Amino acid sequence: MFKLKELVQMRNRGGGGTTSSGGGMGGGACYTYPDAPATIGRVTPDVSFNRGIYMNGSVQMDDGNSVRVWGFTDGGGGMGGMGGQFPSPAIRVTEGQIVHTNLTVNGMMWLHTIHHHGIEPSTENDGVGHYSFDVDGTYTYQWKAAHAGTYFYHCHTNTVLHAEMGMYGALIIDPPEGAGTLFSGGPDYDVEAIWACDEFDSSWHNLPWDAGTCGADVGLNKLDPDYFLITGVDGAQSAATNPAVAVTMSQQQTLLVRYINAGYLAQRIDFGGLEVEIHMSDGRALPQPETVTEIQSVSAERYDCIIKPQNTGVYTVTIEYLDWVTDEVIGTAQTRITVT
Amino acid sequence: MKRREFLKFGTAGVASSMLGSLGLLTWVPRAHAITINKTYYITDGFVAQVDGQDVYFRGFSNSSGTLNMPAEPIIAQQGDTLNITIINTLGTTHSFVIDGIVDSGSIAGGASKTVSFTVNNAGSYLFYDKLNAPYNRLSGLHGGFAVMPSGSSNELYSGSATFVQQYFWVTNDVDPVWHEAIRVGNTPSTPFTPRYFTINGRNMRVPGHPEYTNTDRDSGYATDTRLVGSVGDRTLIRIQNVGLCRHSVHFHANHVEWLAVNGSPRPQVWKKDTLNLPNNKGSLDVIYPFEAPPDAWPPVSTGHFPMHFHDEMTQTAGGGFYQFGLATTIEFK
Repeated sequence: MFKLKELVQMRNRGGGGTTSSGGGMGGGACYTYPDAPATIGRVTPDVSFNRGIYMNGSVQMDDGNSVRVWGFTDGGGGMGGMGGQFPSPAIRVTEGQIVHTNLTVNGMMWLHTIHHHGIEPSTENDGVGHYSFDVDGTYTYQWKAAHAGTYFYHCHTNTVLHAEMGMYGALIIDPPEGAGTLFSGGPDYDVEAIWACDEFDSSWHNLPWDAGTCGADVGLNKLDPDYFLITGVDGAQSAATNPAVAVTMSQQQTLLVRYINAGYLAQRIDFGGLEVEIHMSDGRALPQPETVTEIQSVSAERYDCIIKPQNTGVYTVTIEYLDWVTDEVIGTAQTRITVT
Repeated sequence: MKRREFLKFGTAGVASSMLGSLGLLTWVPRAHAITINKTYYITDGFVAQVDGQDVYFRGFSNSSGTLNMPAEPIIAQQGDTLNITIINTLGTTHSFVIDGIVDSGSIAGGASKTVSFTVNNAGSYLFYDKLNAPYNRLSGLHGGFAVMPSGSSNELYSGSATFVQQYFWVTNDVDPVWHEAIRVGNTPSTPFTPRYFTINGRNMRVPGHPEYTNTDRDSGYATDTRLVGSVGDRTLIRIQNVGLCRHSVHFHANHVEWLAVNGSPRPQVWKKDTLNLPNNKGSLDVIYPFEAPPDAWPPVSTGHFPMHFHDEMTQTAGGGFYQFGLATTIEFK
C-alpha cells in the first residue's frame, strides 16, 4: 500500500526524487512544477496584460470582519505581494486579437498560474500546473481570442485553495463591433454589469499557499461558507447599493448582465421579477435565446443575460447558494437593478 | 454473517485484473435484435486510497474473486432482450435495478436471480442496487447501461448529433465513515462528508507520484476514463453520477455539445465548457468534438488537457492532496 512517507516531493517537473524543504505532512510543497520557459511560437501580440501576485489583500465584510484574499495585480511585479483589488483586474480584448498575459511570480515564495477559463489554447498556455508548469519567474501566456463572450481567469495551482482565496478576474472578449454588442449578430446593450458570485469559507483563508499538497488533511474537501459575495462585495448588505455591483438604468436602456459563478457551490439567481433573455453561455451563443426569470448554475458557468425592463422600479436580485448534497439554500447575496 | 476474508485491492498487478479496465465501449450495429446474457457477482473488498486509507466497497463484479467498481458496462441495441443473472456472494440482501426498465426485487445473501427484459428506448442508463438507498448504491453497486438506436453506430438517439467513439464515466463521492458503517451493517449516522471523489472508481495521479501513469490506479491514464483522439474523433461521453453531490463538469481545450440531461434529450444543443451534473443518479450525455483547440496561437492539433470537476473540493483526497481528485486527461494525439 502506498504510504505518505514514500511521497516524492516535486519541485522540478519530472524530477522524481528531488526533495524540497519541509516534511511530507504539511511542510513544503509537493507536486508542483516550477518553470518559466520561453513561449512557443511567440509573436508580437495585438494586446498584452501584465499580472503579478498579491497574497495579503483583505475584504471588509458587513459584519465588521476582514477576510484575507489573494489575487493578481495589474502591471506585473507585485513580487512582495503588496495588496491589490478583488476580484483581480479584468482582461478585456477583442475577438480575433492575439493576446499576451504576462504573469510574474516569485517562485521562491509561492507558485501560481493563470488559466483563462473557457479559453482553449495549447497545453503550455492553458495554465494547469501538472500538465505544463507552475510559473516560477515570468511566463507569457499566448492565446487568440477566437469567440466573443464572458470568461474568467483564475490561478490553477492548488486551485481548490487559490481560487477560493480570490485569485480570479473577469475575462471579456468583445466582438469586432466593440463593447455594446454581445457578439456579432447578437444583441446590443447600453448598460453592462459583471456579477461574479462567490462564497467564502473564512476558515480556509489563513492557510498557506501550498496547504495540503503533501497530503496533510487541511479540510479542503469540506467547504462551509460563511460569506456570500457579488464581484468582491459582501452580498449581505453592501452589494445592494455598492455602485460597482448595483445597476441604475433607464427604462429605455438595455442591460447586459455577465453572470459568472465564481464559487464552488451551485447557485440560483433570481432577477426580482424581471424577465431575462439568455443569449450566451460559456462564451458561445445559444441556438435560440431563452427567456427566464431565474437561472441555476454550477461552479464556473457563465450566462449572458439581456434585460429590457418593461416598468420602472427597484428590482432586488437574489443569489442563493445551494448545499451540494441537499440543494438547501445555505446563504444569499443580494443586489439591485434600479430602473428609472 | 460468516466471517470471511475481504478482498483487498490497491497494489499494481493485483488491481490490474480487478478494477474495470475495458477502455472504450465498442459497438457494431446489427440488423436484428438479439438476446444478451450477462452474469454479475456481488462481491466486496477494500480499495486503498492515495493517502493510505483502505475504503470498503461492493460491486457487481465479473467473477466471485474480483471487485469491479463500477461494474463492467453493458451496451445493447433497441429491441434486444437481456438476461442478467445476479449471484450474491455476500451475506447481505441486494438488488439489480434500471429505473423504468427492470427491478429484480430482493436477492438474499447467498442467493441468485435472473432478470429478463427488453430495451426499447435508446439512451444512457444506470443499473444499481436500489435497496438500503442510497447506501448500497454509494458503496459501489452500480454500472452504466447503454442502449444504441436500432441499426446505428454513431448516435445517442435516432437523429442525434453523431460520434465515432464512446465512453461511460460513472462518478461517485466517497465518505469512508459511511462505507465502514455499511460494511458492519449499520446505517450511517454521521453527516455525509466525502473525502474521495472518483471517476469509474479511481482518482487522479500526477507526475512524481509512484502511481502516475498506472492504468489501474490513475484516472488520468485508465483506459476507460482517459479521452484519446485525433482531431475529428467526436466522442460521446455518458456521464452517470451515482454520488450524493451535485457537481460542475469542466472540459479544457474544447467546448462539448450538450445532448441530454437525466436521460432527456435537450431541445437545443448548447456548446458548453462547464456543465451542471445533477446528483443522486443524475446524468449528462455530451459529445467532446476533438476540434483543434480554437484559441491556440500558433494553432495546435496535439496536447494534453484535463477534464475535472470545478467544485474544487472534488480535486482533493483526504482533505488535501490537490490534484488527486476527480479528473482525467484528454489527449489530442
